[in-house]
Formats: sequence, C-alpha cells, structure tokens
Amino acid sequence: MVAVTGIGVISPHGDDPDRMFEALMRGESAVHPVFPQLARPAAAATLIFDESRWFTKLQLPGVDRVSQIAVAAASQAVADAGALDAAPERIGVYAGCGMGGAGALEAAYAAGLRGGRVPPLTVPAFMPNAPAAHVAIRHGVHGPVLTYSVACASSAVALAEAARAVRRGDVDVAIAGGAEALIVPGVVSAWQALQTLASPADGEAASACKPFAANRSGFVLGEGAAFLVLESAQRAQHRGARVHGRLAGSGLSCDATHLTKPDSAGQQRALRAALADAGVAAGDIGYCNAHGTATPIGDVVECDALRAVWGDAIDGLWVSSTKALHGHLLGAAGALEAVVTLLALREQRLPPNAHCESPDPRCAVRLVLQPLSSAERLNAAISSSFAFGGTNTVLVFKRA
Amino acid sequence: MSSLGDLQNIIREKYDIEPGALDPNLSMREQGLDSLAVAEFLFEVEDRLKLTLPDEHQQVETLAGLAALIDRLRAEQVA
Repeated sequence: MVAVTGIGVISPHGDDPDRMFEALMRGESAVHPVFPQLARPAAAATLIFDESRWFTKLQLPGVDRVSQIAVAAASQAVADAGALDAAPERIGVYAGCGMGGAGALEAAYAAGLRGGRVPPLTVPAFMPNAPAAHVAIRHGVHGPVLTYSVACASSAVALAEAARAVRRGDVDVAIAGGAEALIVPGVVSAWQALQTLASPADGEAASACKPFAANRSGFVLGEGAAFLVLESAQRAQHRGARVHGRLAGSGLSCDATHLTKPDSAGQQRALRAALADAGVAAGDIGYCNAHGTATPIGDVVECDALRAVWGDAIDGLWVSSTKALHGHLLGAAGALEAVVTLLALREQRLPPNAHCESPDPRCAVRLVLQPLSSAERLNAAISSSFAFGGTNTVLVFKRA
Repeated sequence: MSSLGDLQNIIREKYDIEPGALDPNLSMREQGLDSLAVAEFLFEVEDRLKLTLPDEHQQVETLAGLAALIDRLRAEQVA
C-alpha cells in the first residue's frame, strides 16, 4: 500500500494546501480576466509567485516559470514529508507536464519571427522534461527522473506510475506530481480557437466555468504545480512519518476513438481498472473529484460513465469538479486535484461543485451543490482525469 | 578605457553579485557562474553594449579577458 507522506502546492489559491482547501470549501474562485489585448475576452486562474523565495538570480537563467513552480511545490512536499532517509539512487521523480516552458517558447517565437535574437537558453527553458530535471537537481535525485506528457492526464499518470514504481520496489521514495504554466497570450489564443473555453460574460469571469450546469460553456485555464511524496506504508510507519492518506490504486485506459472527444466506454474501462487495482467496489467510494471541464459534451459523457460503473450505487457517490474554482491546470490538473481529493478524505469534508445553479438533467449524478461536512464516513474517493488524446486516468485514495 | 566596470555593473544587476565578489582574473565558471548563466550573461552584454561578440568569445574564461575583448571591439567601432 502506497502512503502519501508529503504534499506541496503552488496553486491559484496559494501555497498552503490547507488554506487552499478552505478556500475551495468556501466556493472562492481564483479565476479572473487576463490579457485584455486579445480579440476575445479571456479568463484564467493565475498564481502570485515569488521566484526569489526558491531561486537566487544566479540560479534563474534558463529556468522557465513552469520549472520554478515545480521546484517550489516539490520542495514544499519534501519538507512536509520530513527526513526521507533514502539513498539518492532510491528516490525517483515522476512529473507531469503538458507543454513545458510555454513562456520561453513564446518569447523565442516573438523575437525570432520578427528577425530579432532568440534568447540562448530557450531550448533548456522550454523542454518539457525541464521541471522534473530541476526538481531532481534541487533534491539530489539519482534514481529515475521521468516526465509524463499526456495532456490533461499528465500528472495523474505521473502519480499512477510513481505509485506502481514504489509498489514494485523500483524506488523507495517517489516525488510525484506536475506543473503547468502556459498562461501567455499566444497559447491562450490557441485555446480560444479550439472553442473549448468558457465565454465569460462581462464581469463574470470568476464564475465562467460551470461544471455539470445546464448553462455551462467550457473551462478556464489555470496554472500551478502540485507534488506528493509517496513511499510504502510500511516504510512510512518505520520512520514515523505523518501519513496524509493512501494512493490505493489507479486505472488507465485509452479511448482510441478521437483526439478530443471523450468516450464513455474508455472512461468506464479506467474506472473499473482503478477500482480493481485498489481492491474496492464502486459502492465503497464516497466521493469523486471529477474531471468535470464543463464542456457541453464532456460532462454528459463523464456522468454516463459513472452511472454505467456505479449502477444502483450511484446515489451513494458524491461528485464535484473543483475546476470551477481553480481552473483547468492541464498537465498539473491531476496532481492538484489529487491533493484536493486527499484533503477531502482526511478532513471528511467535500468541496462544492460551484457555479451550478441549475444542473443539467443529463448529468444525473449526486452533485455536491453546497460544501459538505460528510455525514456518512468517507473512506475512499477517486479523482478522474480524461485527456485530449484519449488517455483516461482514475486514481483511488483511501484514508490514512 | 576598460569595459570591466560595465561588465561588473551588469553582473551586479543581473545576479546580485558585487564586483568585489568576483575575481576578474579567475575563471568565471570556477567562481560559480555556470555555463547557462555565462551564456545568458553574454547575450545581455551584447544587448546592453550594442555589440556582437565574435566567436572567439567562446574561449574567454575570465571577466578581465572579456573586458579586454570588448575594449578592442569598441576601439574598432570608433576607428
């Protein structure tokens, strides 16, 4: 059994996981308008991040924002875990990242295509494996240092694979999570062009993302990083570590149908595989932190898949998508939402599915419409990530 | 004319390193400016001093050596 002994976040709701959770419980949105110069109104959940807390000026050349926040979040997780007592070659880093150093890439194109000079460190700054590499350098990690680039499921996959590596004994300790920082004008424009982003009405950016609501119109982008420290429960107990919860299992599948459209059968495969891997029945799961991107099609397909797998037990499953409040962190979404799910289990409280005044009747699941201090004992929960490209990842968490 | 002062100013602003902390006659790399930092530093130098360093700058190891190179380039610009 894999224990989570450290948590670190750099989130749109701040750097303290507990305060972030409280903000989510209060239904506070971190989403706000960005880039007024764009032709269409844009909104995103961004960070207030002071890189000088983590890097001297001498350490910053060639380090894009995405790597800066990865190091910050991973360092907080490692500090939270206490003395790891692991040999460097027995520690691994498993990081999810969808795009790599978007800021560095955009700056290079902006300069280079105008006939100007491209910054010399563009390549090491933008490469998607940079965040994991910087985490490894900062923490002296000599074991496997891997980057998973699976769009919206990147860091969920990273967590799943890290847990399996710990179970197999490839490593004693895994620093696992993800980072994404692509809120730059060119990239936001590209996302707008895809027509999956919510269209914020004037003055309503904060509530633009409405998962499972009848009047939903898509998601908003977010930036941030989240990392967990994973090790075997036995090892954690032996060194007297505080355990936040357990990553009890995971399930992966691929739709193999369409590059962007979600597929209920594919999601069902991942859900069932996760339950089987964790050795639990659907009815044992009290809460689902949904993928819930608030796209017209995606939310219906997700509920369809949940109903297919849960069957008669569906009414015992609480569901909420916290993307309404922290945005869609893409490559970091899986990791941040894993933290939210873990804290929900630890605190026995469920964050609301915000901005949903009128649920879509086709999304027939029990939504957390008000924040919940759970009456029934919540023992296990899942966090789902269903990505562009068709990879579906479901993580199962149990109480400590 | 010595460009050393200009270079030391750029280093102070960019890296918070005071002139006294970096010996201009010792290798920059050995004093903690790794190759990435040096690459970006040279880019900044070219930008701020409005000149293009020739390829031989790749062999310049010390701040004093770089300053001498820049002195020569500036003298050639004026001539």
